[in-house]
Amino acid sequence: MKKDPNMENALEMNRRQAIKRAGLMLGAALSASTLSGVAAAQTRAAGAKGKAVNLSAKEFELVSAFSERILPRTDTPGAVDVGVPEFADAMFGGFLSESEEETFRKGLASVDAISQETYRKAFVDLGASEQDAVIQEIAKSNGQDLKSFYRKARELTIVGYFTSEEVMRNVLNYDFIPGRYDGCVPISETGNVLWAH
Amino acid sequence: MNIQGKGTKQNTYDAIVIGSGISGGWAAKELSEKGLRTLALERGRDVKHGEYPTAHMEPWEFEGRNRSTQARRARQHKQNRTGYTTHPASAHWFVDDIDNPYSEDKPFDWMRGYHVGGRSLLWGRQSYRYSELDFEANAEDGFGVDWPIRYKDIAPWYDYVERFAGISGTNEGLPHLPDGQFLPPMEMNCVEKHARSRVAEAFSDRIITIGRAANLTVPHNGRGNCQYRNRCIRGCPFGGYFSSNVSTLPAGYASGNLTLRPFSIVNQIIYDNEKGKATGVRIIDAETNEVIEYYAKVIFSCASAVASTFILMNSKSSRFPNGMGNDSGELGHNLMDHHFKVGATGIAEGFDDQYYKGRRPNGIYVPRFRNVSKETTQKDYVRGFGYQGRASRMNWARGIGELARFGSSLKADLIEPGPWRFGIGSWGECLPYHENRMYLNEDVRDKWGQPTVTFDCEWKENELAMRKDMKQSAVDILEAAGMRDIRAFDTVEKSAPGNCIHEMGTARMGRDPKTSVLNKWNQVHGASNVFVTDGACMTSNSCVNPSLTYMALSARAADHAVNELKKGNLS
Repeated sequence: MKKDPNMENALEMNRRQAIKRAGLMLGAALSASTLSGVAAAQTRAAGAKGKAVNLSAKEFELVSAFSERILPRTDTPGAVDVGVPEFADAMFGGFLSESEEETFRKGLASVDAISQETYRKAFVDLGASEQDAVIQEIAKSNGQDLKSFYRKARELTIVGYFTSEEVMRNVLNYDFIPGRYDGCVPISETGNVLWAH
Repeated sequence: MNIQGKGTKQNTYDAIVIGSGISGGWAAKELSEKGLRTLALERGRDVKHGEYPTAHMEPWEFEGRNRSTQARRARQHKQNRTGYTTHPASAHWFVDDIDNPYSEDKPFDWMRGYHVGGRSLLWGRQSYRYSELDFEANAEDGFGVDWPIRYKDIAPWYDYVERFAGISGTNEGLPHLPDGQFLPPMEMNCVEKHARSRVAEAFSDRIITIGRAANLTVPHNGRGNCQYRNRCIRGCPFGGYFSSNVSTLPAGYASGNLTLRPFSIVNQIIYDNEKGKATGVRIIDAETNEVIEYYAKVIFSCASAVASTFILMNSKSSRFPNGMGNDSGELGHNLMDHHFKVGATGIAEGFDDQYYKGRRPNGIYVPRFRNVSKETTQKDYVRGFGYQGRASRMNWARGIGELARFGSSLKADLIEPGPWRFGIGSWGECLPYHENRMYLNEDVRDKWGQPTVTFDCEWKENELAMRKDMKQSAVDILEAAGMRDIRAFDTVEKSAPGNCIHEMGTARMGRDPKTSVLNKWNQVHGASNVFVTDGACMTSNSCVNPSLTYMALSARAADHAVNELKKGNLS
């Protein structure tokens, strides 16, 4: 998919449309909280914000930083804004198998090892472009464990992001009870935004 | 053993129906509406319409966003084999495999739920009629025994159950996929419409039609129409699709003649040697372990193919030492399911400015086109297959595997609708083989001390030869439809018998008591007041989804039972 240079503007349009739509659908009482949610997302720091239950504090920070580079805050919320790290942490509470947990923890250690090797700093202490360089290296890796980790990290980030209340309600087209099916709708009527489901 | 209820009037009814799923719901409705005091026995808990705990939940409201914990997976390690049933949104409708064990000589997926409504709450809702081609198939090619009925015998009952249940669809005038009494069809989307016309141009023998689904496109019989949430498997608070809970059982209750007893595991049907008929059933209360007997003039076993067969096998008497109705030795044999998980996907180009609204709980259907005429006869296999599928725009999940991409452009891209993808998967007919069977396992007992079931069933040459064509023809159809990047798949390893949840055939109907278990009215040979109207009765498999046929056969058998009772032929 080619990106158009005016994408940022288009995204801003999408976000406005999403907020407007949420307001129309949910009524004034709820749209106020929706709007404040989006506003809060814009002012929050990009680092870890929540608290880990199953992961160590250090692991949680690393998951936060890593997932935020996969889906960073732009004019729409980023992974940290919508609770991706908390979702990943919850997955360590009985949802992942023991071997999945082990592979993931080993992967996190590798992320820091690569950061140290290249920049002599932990991943969380790197700047965004350095963090991206580390991720690019991991994406190219042929190591089976590192590959499994990277895929799982992407899966948890993308699933956690797109099944979050904030993204489903305010970023995507949210239609809880559609009530009808229309087979052919011009894309312009949906703002070129995906239906949430 | 302390048996409750022996000979008491309060435990005596006109009719007993075992099971409350698709077939049991229909039997209960018909028998009670025709004036019989009817007791419906369900082994699981009661579920009244509307008692669907996850129906309104969004992904973020589930712990783990609707993923299963490892602990839950361990308890449902077999139910989990479908890949879609044991998420928290629907896991409560499927049994705990530790508490409800079965054994496998060869892999067999027995997917089931123990609650009022059974799998009528969970079914795929695709509703097609068997055709004359299906009823003649066994006689034609010699596999299995001849059906004792033909299409004309069941056609009025298809009309009858379709009118009540509410099936949306389009009449296409095909002899091998008979027209029906349909509510207005759901709409195809732009890509599906395009594919329909392309395929019609390219092939004289195949069409794309909208799926015929037991989802209401308009309000019907007091039920609301489908709301296009596509969360049917959780139970529909709107009554938008047919289930026992919203359709047949309320009709039965309204007659004033229907009593439903949940937590009632039927252990056996009681046979009276002197009277030469069944007198009632013995149940185990699933909660208290009490053993209770109930009596009736007529008994309908609608517990599911495997469970009804289990009950007959477990109903031993001096007259039936090998299980009730098993003079032929065919009880438990001829186990069938549809084989599936083979087909193709492709990408549609030129429709990026088009989308849809609503989540349609239905797809498109390609009716069978092989072995339907002299011209379409195949040399490698008998019988045939159909396709179910849909076109849709891909969602954010496509981003997980795009390992090289991350960051703001990936996120922006995933917020947009993805490419149009058209996928079709095939459902193929399986032959009735005597060797494919289930049998009682006396060594492994359930927690009530009953024997359990062992399966010994596999796909054979005809199914495997058919799959090659199922795969190639899917590619041909998608090519004709103008798709790009077509990828064929055949994950036969994920399609063990049972996985399609259309198990059937283990107490088949037939013309000859020497080779079948049931007669043409679904009556057990040698115990004519016992009727079996669930999937167990099926003599052949067809390639279409079977539930509509179970409905029609149940209503037809109930009508016959009442007529016979009036004539004094069952007492």
